[in-house]
Amino acid sequence: MNNKKIYAGTGIGAAALLAVFFLYTNPTVLVYGVQRAGIYAAIALPMALVLGIVHIVNLAHGEMMMVAAYLSYFISKTFGLDPLLAAIPTGIIMFFLGILIFKTTISHTLNAPELNQLILTFGVAMVLSQTVNLMATSQPRKISLDYVSSSATFGNVSFGVYDFIFPALAIVFLLILMYFLKKTRLGKAASAVGQNPRGARIVGINVDLTYTVIFAIASAVIGIFGSFFITKFSIFPAVGGAYTMKSFALVAMAGIGKLPQIIIASLILGVAESFVMSIPGGAGWAPMIFFSLIIIVILSRSFRSKQ
Amino acid sequence: MSEAVQRKKTLPYIFMALGIVILIMPFFSGPYIQSIGRTVLTYMILAISWDMLIRSGQLSFGIAGFFGLGSYTAVLSAVNLSFGPFMSIIAAAVIAGAIAFLVGAVVLRLRGMYFAITTLALGELFKITIHNWHDFTGGPNGMLLPKLAFDGASIPTYAMMLVFALGIIALSEYFKKSKIHYALTAIRDNEIVAKSSGINIYKFLLIAFTITAAIQGAAGAGFAQLYGFVTPESSFNANYTLIPLAMALLGGMYSTWGPVIGAVVLGVLGEFLKLFIPYGHLVVYGIIIILVLLFMPQGIAGLVSKTLKKRGESYE
Repeated sequence: MNNKKIYAGTGIGAAALLAVFFLYTNPTVLVYGVQRAGIYAAIALPMALVLGIVHIVNLAHGEMMMVAAYLSYFISKTFGLDPLLAAIPTGIIMFFLGILIFKTTISHTLNAPELNQLILTFGVAMVLSQTVNLMATSQPRKISLDYVSSSATFGNVSFGVYDFIFPALAIVFLLILMYFLKKTRLGKAASAVGQNPRGARIVGINVDLTYTVIFAIASAVIGIFGSFFITKFSIFPAVGGAYTMKSFALVAMAGIGKLPQIIIASLILGVAESFVMSIPGGAGWAPMIFFSLIIIVILSRSFRSKQ
Repeated sequence: MSEAVQRKKTLPYIFMALGIVILIMPFFSGPYIQSIGRTVLTYMILAISWDMLIRSGQLSFGIAGFFGLGSYTAVLSAVNLSFGPFMSIIAAAVIAGAIAFLVGAVVLRLRGMYFAITTLALGELFKITIHNWHDFTGGPNGMLLPKLAFDGASIPTYAMMLVFALGIIALSEYFKKSKIHYALTAIRDNEIVAKSSGINIYKFLLIAFTITAAIQGAAGAGFAQLYGFVTPESSFNANYTLIPLAMALLGGMYSTWGPVIGAVVLGVLGEFLKLFIPYGHLVVYGIIIILVLLFMPQGIAGLVSKTLKKRGESYE
């Protein structure tokens, strides 16, 4: 416990030092880093929820976000809605799509080896991305909005303001999910299932229903994020794949079942990435740094857990 | 009972004869069939190599990574060192194997989802490196091979891939009969028991990972020799992970013949599907993965041997 406190203290100290350093030398790194971190945290939170309670690595995670973004795109095109308003119907549709995906595929492999679950969700990911490819073609789509490009200037630094919606969204997601898990009846039951499914079953919790509801809630959160995603980025069928890996890396970094730590993990990755991008000629290498970080983090975690 | 035994003995020969006919047939048909044959054989090699590793319980999503690495090694060695086609394929196998050996020394300590995701990330890492290393690899535009194997003639290249595939089938069968097989199966079934009965888990996993990566690299080199160009997007395409995986699953995991059957069935089926749904025929592969996992985890090979066994019992 004492060791933990020391680690946490040094971690926070180092982070604060770095923050001051960046603020002094290159504030845009920090600004863009926080904005990136918001995107990563918002998409990683639902995966953390599913992994922590249902104990399934959903390799179709990013693809579900992509499907949600397409849904939101078509809803806002047909009804002339703002994508941010389309988040509500998209979230509801994704809730039921989550139930459908869970009930038809994943729930049948809950007791199967982990290998089967991984391959199965890999298949689900492929079906989702290829179905979208068939129906909407691989042509990139984008909604252009005026308010996205608003900017602000502090001193001699100017930056986009709209992107701060992602960190805000991540924090809202976190607060709602934490409230749900700690305060509501269903959420408490879900936490119990996450800790020990057999014990939860013995005390009379309907484990299968809990799994379904949690997966559906995670899907709804993904759906809402998808609507926010479309406001800023262009979408194509393969856009989701990278986010599956990024989310998984963040969850592995934060520790399975720990939602608040996701924010810290995303901050580290977001700032590190935007730092590499700020180096001239570094933009192409940013994903490289990201993937090396994934490998280092996963490896160091697995070593520590063995000791 | 004697009838059942006889049936059991004759059936493999029937399958073998059928297989030989399928493999020989492209020699007497047009270049289109031969090109399908080459593609099927490439995927067959990848599917078998994936299966060789999964026999130890380690799920790798890194096929495309080592495949692309092999493709690039072949082209780069041909351009810079003026290697011939066969030397370049061997070079690709050596490089892919060596990198897998170095990486595996660390990565193979991971299990389950951590191993799977890390192999996926490794493939991306290779791709990004090659994408950004403009001076050496040509960057996003890729590179051209100066001279194709056999000048791209259809029949000799098909023969080349056929010999390669037969070699891999033989290697896989050797794996199944050797000491390595028992060690890997023991690791898959229960790692702790395997460890306590004196198996050096790490050594055997490293052997399997290195050999399968070398095979995947060689397959990539063979593919580069057939098509004569490499780009980061095409050589590291996720299809090279997805399609072999679907083939091995459909045919049946943990055997040599499963991936072989799966490759022939899905490869030919996929070619027909392309005619009907040109963009997105891969959705069928995804559906096959899901259906096989849910309803037929043993695959075609498992189904066949099961019905054979049942029949044998009913005769007894």
